[in-house]
Amino acid sequence: MPVVHFKSNDKVLDVAAGITVLAAARLAGVMIDSPCNGNGTCGKCKVKIIGDFANEMVVKGNHGLSEMENSQGIVLACCTDVQDDVEVETLDRLDNESLQIVSKGQNLVVELASPIHKEYDNQIGKTKVMAGEMLLGTEEGNTAKENYGAVVDIGTTTVVLALFDLHSGQELATVSALNPQSRYAQDVLSRIKYASTPEGLDAMYFALINELNHLLIEAAAKAKINRHHVYEIVFSGNTCMLHLATRVNPASLGKYPYLPALYGHDQVHAADHGMQASPLAGIYLPPIISAYVGPDITSGILAAQLTELAGISLFIDIGTNGEMALSKDGSLSVTSTAAGPAFEGMNIACGMRAAAGAIEAFTITDEGLKINTIGDGAAIGICGSGLIDVVGELIAHDIIGKNGKLKDGNLPEHLAEHLVKREGKTVFSLGENVYLSQKDIRQVQLAKGAIRAGVEALLINQDVTAQEVDRVFIAGSFGYHLNPDSLIHIGLLPQSFRNKIQFLGNTSKSGGQAFLLNRFIRGRMAEAVKEIQVIELATVDNFDRLFAKCLEFSSI
Amino acid sequence: MANNKEELLKQLADAVVDMDEEKAVELAQIIVAEGIDAYEAIEKGLSAGMEVAGRLFEEEEYFIPELLMCSDAMYAGLGVLKPHLKAKEGAAEEKVKIVIGVIEGDTHDIGKNLVKILLETSGYEIIDLGRDISPQKFIDTAKEQDAKIIAISTLMTTTMDGLAEVIRLLQQQDIREQFKVMIGGAPVSQAFADKIGADSYAVNAATAVRLARQLMESVA
Repeated sequence: MPVVHFKSNDKVLDVAAGITVLAAARLAGVMIDSPCNGNGTCGKCKVKIIGDFANEMVVKGNHGLSEMENSQGIVLACCTDVQDDVEVETLDRLDNESLQIVSKGQNLVVELASPIHKEYDNQIGKTKVMAGEMLLGTEEGNTAKENYGAVVDIGTTTVVLALFDLHSGQELATVSALNPQSRYAQDVLSRIKYASTPEGLDAMYFALINELNHLLIEAAAKAKINRHHVYEIVFSGNTCMLHLATRVNPASLGKYPYLPALYGHDQVHAADHGMQASPLAGIYLPPIISAYVGPDITSGILAAQLTELAGISLFIDIGTNGEMALSKDGSLSVTSTAAGPAFEGMNIACGMRAAAGAIEAFTITDEGLKINTIGDGAAIGICGSGLIDVVGELIAHDIIGKNGKLKDGNLPEHLAEHLVKREGKTVFSLGENVYLSQKDIRQVQLAKGAIRAGVEALLINQDVTAQEVDRVFIAGSFGYHLNPDSLIHIGLLPQSFRNKIQFLGNTSKSGGQAFLLNRFIRGRMAEAVKEIQVIELATVDNFDRLFAKCLEFSSI
Repeated sequence: MANNKEELLKQLADAVVDMDEEKAVELAQIIVAEGIDAYEAIEKGLSAGMEVAGRLFEEEEYFIPELLMCSDAMYAGLGVLKPHLKAKEGAAEEKVKIVIGVIEGDTHDIGKNLVKILLETSGYEIIDLGRDISPQKFIDTAKEQDAKIIAISTLMTTTMDGLAEVIRLLQQQDIREQFKVMIGGAPVSQAFADKIGADSYAVNAATAVRLARQLMESVA
């Protein structure tokens, strides 16, 4: 089988002879811009083949390539078949600017196609600010170099704002703060309820905008730029957060049939929302898939390149609301499932957020327990990743049974001392005043059962087996801190996903970045979102039985 | 014979607790063949077994999958015994009726379904309205069916007010005293039940059965 080496992305792939370079790139997860989707008509998917490739490739078309490019070994990826081993270099576009959004395990290559351009007119001594062909306004003097944008990931708990140079695509500064709305209501449903009245909505809206302005000022100071040269802001986050951020009543999200009041892929004036950026600035709202599959997931789909990937890919965002998207050769179906807050350390006796003193990783060795805490101090509680590790290890060592029952005795000597009684009930001790109770295990079962049942329902709906899944992307608040083995031990994911799991980190932000830096991606994703099949788990036949089955701690 | 009968009923209860569907069917068949009263076998065998299962659930021994498997065994045994129930006994033992459903605006019904199974296996007649049910519908059905208990659940904070609405409507229509109202679901608490004036709050399905029994005793 021919081997294709994508040098600039450091990816190597065995392919069937006769496949196009574009198809190989999609298989390898290398993003090559292909607006005409491989029809050979747009001339955009240029790549450079290294060395003399006459025998390795069959070139079927060269639409839009110059003589010079032909002589340099530049070909159209969609019109060039691979016959033998080749080395491919993905190209920066003519403007010679391209950006790598590095997210562990996955290189998302986004071509710069900024929505904003600035031109200095020396006749009038002013700088024009253009959005495509449209003149947004002018600024005194020559400010053409100062062209910035921001991505805001509005999480239910945390808000992250990242500033970018729209000329270079460089990230300049990232700042974050707690979402001030949690002062009024903690979880999404409580916020929907709170914001269902005009007063409640305004309280949440102004608190958030106020915080976003603080973050903008802080980030601009850090990056040493003038925030009045920020012209484009992308709001990413869940569907409810987008409603609250744009002062739209979210009440309809909270009641069946759970309909959003806005669908995104829309531009609003930043000034209308009191954002203290350029008075000309716009806010882009990415496409919304459904009430419980929001723009953060659209961003995630983009960051994981799900619409581009051949084969079967699964994207899972693990959180209080677990969202999952399945891609079959780029065609997508999604669902969401109420996992509850256990993985955020809530409803767990010794649960806590990921802060100093939290157990974040855990293994059982022949000597005993190996406990890692954040900040390396004494354990004071267990955060989400630690919880999954603890339960996973206890299952792997048969201290928790398949049915979730904590064993009462018969443990090897070096572990027996950890089974102690607390208020008459057996718990597993993890340190002074830190332990795992039977009830905690039940909470983990419910949370992981909900996510696993969502995954299974999606697979069943699309007539795919777990074995057939080629790759699994995990996004969400856990970042990279999860141990994939523990996810399998607790049965949150099936055994057959082993070695297929990649952690992508905050894809709401990285996908939002792609939305910011490339205006073409917006329309493409809006089209893709229209085609997505949304599966409502409540309407899946026998979902309760499926859920009950998924509560078991069996790693199959 | 007496010994044998007690022994068989005990084994039938154990088959339910042990989640052994085949064994429950086999024992039910033997019970029928032995001429043991089907009604007694249901009560002292199957229902007794479910009661133990419910207790194990409350004690955190059993979890939802076990409860469901116990109820599978129970229903399998019931399928064998039911045709052998004598008609007059059915009439003599009028079952207490419970109207159950998920409140308007919410479609999450896994919890409600569990409560329904446990109540049903404890000898209540359940009228299951399903999900996304308006407050008035609960009341209308309870009146029509002459139910004693209205059991309402919700998983979503956003639809909790519907539970209060049921009680408000009952008061408004001056029939609050005719029904006991039992509520449950993730965002619901004892404090919320007190606030809206519900008769009881069930933290889980097994507790719901115990509370239903208490509510009925308080009436009697």
